[in-house]
Amino acid sequence: MKILVAVKQVAALEEDFEFRADGRDVDGDFLVMDLNEWDDYSLEEAVKIKEACGGAVEIVAVSVGPPTVDEALRKCLAKGADRAVRIWDEAMRGSDSIAVARILAAAARAEAPDLLFAGVQSSDQAVAATGIATAGFLGWPHAAVVSQFTYTPGAATAVLRRELEGGLLHELEIRTPAVLTIQLGINTPRYASLRSIKQAAAKPIELRTLADLSLNAAEVGEAGSSARVRRMYVPDKGRAELIEGSAAEQAKRLAAIIRESTGAA
Amino acid sequence: MSRSEAVTRILFEAFPAAEVRLFYVLGFAACAAFAYGVYVQVRKYRRGAPAALAGGMWPRLGWMIARVLDHRTVERRDPAAGGAHRLIFYGFTLLFIGTATITLQYDILEPLFGVRFWYGRFYLVFSLVLDLAGVALIAGLLYMMVRRGWLKPPKLDYARPDRSPGDPDFDRPQYRREDWAFLWLLLIIGATGYVLEAARLVWLQGRADVWDTRWWSPVGALLAAALRGVGLGPAGGGALRHGLWWFHGLIALGFIALIPYTKVKHVFTAMGSLMVRDPLAAQRLARIPESQAAPGVAAITDFTWKQLLNLDACTRCGRCHEACPARAVGAPLSPRDVILSLREFAHATLESGTLPAAAELNVHGKSPGQVAQETLWSCRTCMACVEICPVAVEHVPIIVQLRRKLVEDGAMDPLLAKTLATIHKTGNSFGESRRRRGAWTKALPFPVKDARREPVDVLWFVGDYASFDPRNQKVTQTFAALLAEAGVDFGILYDGESNAGNDVRRVGEEGLYEVLADANVAALGSATFNRVVTTDPHSYNTIRNEYPDFGGRYPIEHYTTLLERLFAAGRLKVTQPLRYRVTFHDPCHLGRFNQGYEAPRQLLALLGCELVEMGRCRSNSFCCGAGGGRIWIPDPAGGEKPAQNRIKEAAAIPGLQVYAVSCPKDLTMFEDALKTTGNEGKFVVREIIELVREALPLAAPAGAHA
Repeated sequence: MKILVAVKQVAALEEDFEFRADGRDVDGDFLVMDLNEWDDYSLEEAVKIKEACGGAVEIVAVSVGPPTVDEALRKCLAKGADRAVRIWDEAMRGSDSIAVARILAAAARAEAPDLLFAGVQSSDQAVAATGIATAGFLGWPHAAVVSQFTYTPGAATAVLRRELEGGLLHELEIRTPAVLTIQLGINTPRYASLRSIKQAAAKPIELRTLADLSLNAAEVGEAGSSARVRRMYVPDKGRAELIEGSAAEQAKRLAAIIRESTGAA
Repeated sequence: MSRSEAVTRILFEAFPAAEVRLFYVLGFAACAAFAYGVYVQVRKYRRGAPAALAGGMWPRLGWMIARVLDHRTVERRDPAAGGAHRLIFYGFTLLFIGTATITLQYDILEPLFGVRFWYGRFYLVFSLVLDLAGVALIAGLLYMMVRRGWLKPPKLDYARPDRSPGDPDFDRPQYRREDWAFLWLLLIIGATGYVLEAARLVWLQGRADVWDTRWWSPVGALLAAALRGVGLGPAGGGALRHGLWWFHGLIALGFIALIPYTKVKHVFTAMGSLMVRDPLAAQRLARIPESQAAPGVAAITDFTWKQLLNLDACTRCGRCHEACPARAVGAPLSPRDVILSLREFAHATLESGTLPAAAELNVHGKSPGQVAQETLWSCRTCMACVEICPVAVEHVPIIVQLRRKLVEDGAMDPLLAKTLATIHKTGNSFGESRRRRGAWTKALPFPVKDARREPVDVLWFVGDYASFDPRNQKVTQTFAALLAEAGVDFGILYDGESNAGNDVRRVGEEGLYEVLADANVAALGSATFNRVVTTDPHSYNTIRNEYPDFGGRYPIEHYTTLLERLFAAGRLKVTQPLRYRVTFHDPCHLGRFNQGYEAPRQLLALLGCELVEMGRCRSNSFCCGAGGGRIWIPDPAGGEKPAQNRIKEAAAIPGLQVYAVSCPKDLTMFEDALKTTGNEGKFVVREIIELVREALPLAAPAGAHA
């Protein structure tokens, strides 16, 4: 039994930051990188399944990215992943969610897991498409925003619950292999002690290239993406004003603002 | 036989040979029982892990003997019990030496070498000394009985804060029974000794050697007079003496046999524990040896033999129970009960002939003898328990070792886990960008040197709270202004500085501590400076006591001593004496940990403040509740917090104006507690730095608090 956990190293902004010269992203010097919060939960869900059945489960963490991503994968190893796979090729730079999904799907075909977990979304890009798009490429059953998951290794189906609007729950039975995107709060991710992270540093991280996955350069990177970032910028700040004074004064000021903003002068 | 040689005590006079033989058989049996008990105890300790001891063997031995003789650690904060224990100790010891002297002559020197000395004047002085020793013993025992039976100090209540009524190990009635049995047994041995002596005098009243010298045993002589007064004659005296001799002898032998199996063993284990004491037990925690597969303590056998000995040294005196801030606010922790639980666990598992299976050695959990997670996470590592323990039990290292295992398992409050991850990621507990560490300097009217770029005289290690907490930043800016005003050549490490790691280490996250300590040692190594100063007692402690283990040795001081010197040198002058009525809260890591009691008080005096001490001050200072990583763990809602308990203590001081602190975390904790206890407006919490600033208005207003 094998669970593939797709993870992403996400960026968080430092307080003061600058944009890259091409204006399409923040300068990397001003980013703090970490494992995506949702992926912490999906990895934990996999580890829980493994622990519940006493260990006959292999957990493989997989990520698409340059060597700096190794740090996030080590964290996965520290928290209980058995293997870590990093997929990278310079041609993959600039991949959007769909292109990343195509890469992950190729990796999933190679690994042939029983389950593929992904986070609902990433905290930096928040497209929330990668997991489900991967299922699309694979043609596997899928469920998004899973908040509870029950599966016995070896079983042909799993039972899950999804949270819907209005406090409703959706309980599904799903055939495996399947792709699930995991929601925050499904479990309590464990703490990876520094000691376990250091020990994980000794474990190998397997590298896969385009060729390993039988992909060609046109399918990945900007070439294989359906969308392209035009620019990234900080919008002009809106204005806010606390109107004080008597009711009459407040009404007068309010009227003035309305006139100003409608150009009625 | 000369007249003088006749003045002695014939041990077995009028005993049939069979009875003498029986006594020796019983005596050897008691010694054998004692020896076996000692063997079992030693085997138990040897089942622990190896321990590295601090300091040389002879100084440790000397220190232990001095403490046993002067009883200084026993009488602290309880002089009456300490005095009574001293009477019992000296009484018992003299009586024991007396008995040993008799054995020395009667069973060794005389039969082997024909040497006799136990007669004549020596014997008479010996009688007198032992008679008085018996008085001391009985007086001490009677006080202890009054204390247990009537005075009932709360610290002797065995009810546990980490168990509920109804739990099998809630209040341990067997301890109470043992305490009383111990007192009664000693009392009966002492009392029957006197009656036995009196009966012998009555019996031998016709013998001048005995009768004429009876007042060398004054208590015995008085009792003999009383016995004669109620009509006891020589024959009756002889019969009474014979019966009592056996009674007294048997319970005395029984007592010896029981020593290793009962609390009486503290006479040995306490001495052993004192001898292996580490004076920096809580200040400098142990590294994890390279050879150790898993960090911390999971099984009882993961404790070192020294820690197992610590467990056995505990006399249940309750001083740590009384001093513990977590216990005081109803948290499920008493350091006493951690020690006693583990002792019961060690007793149940490590005293059997064969070691139980590994699964039965796990000390984590809620069964009797195990220690629960909530208990371990309640600890503030404030060191109050270690500091007051009369027998050198080192609770804090034991608790941190247990926590290391919890951290490895991730068994901790999610917020704590998050904070640790944040510290790993950003180097500070606020989750701020590294770059912003020195941002507080921007509000100053002068630049602060980057000690990595240019040499400085004083390197200021700022610390997390002083760097990032907005309230503390004002204090930090004020301190910078004071240093500038005094003409101190100082600099900081800016983003080269990381969280010092003191509290991370005490949480039990040793791996992260190693990362932080290595990073700071490297950063400090890249700078040129003469000494380090910090306003943060936590950073002060770990840099001073723990960084040397990571290759970082620096002369470091807390700001209070630096300011004191600047005043003494006339580089700072008080121009507006403050005349406030203040009290001072000793930070754990400055006071108890590093004996920095005087400088803050002298500063307050220099400023013209009237210092009114709280009841719990100096070594007995009451932790604000933030230590040991507790500042990152929310306190349970509804209950009292240690800081609130402390503020209430201060609020009882009539006319108090200022509650002075000298630690960034204290400022945060107590300003909060001032509000939540409804004392806002009655007095204020101030850093001593702020008071200094107030007493010497600077040319350029400090910090310009922008």
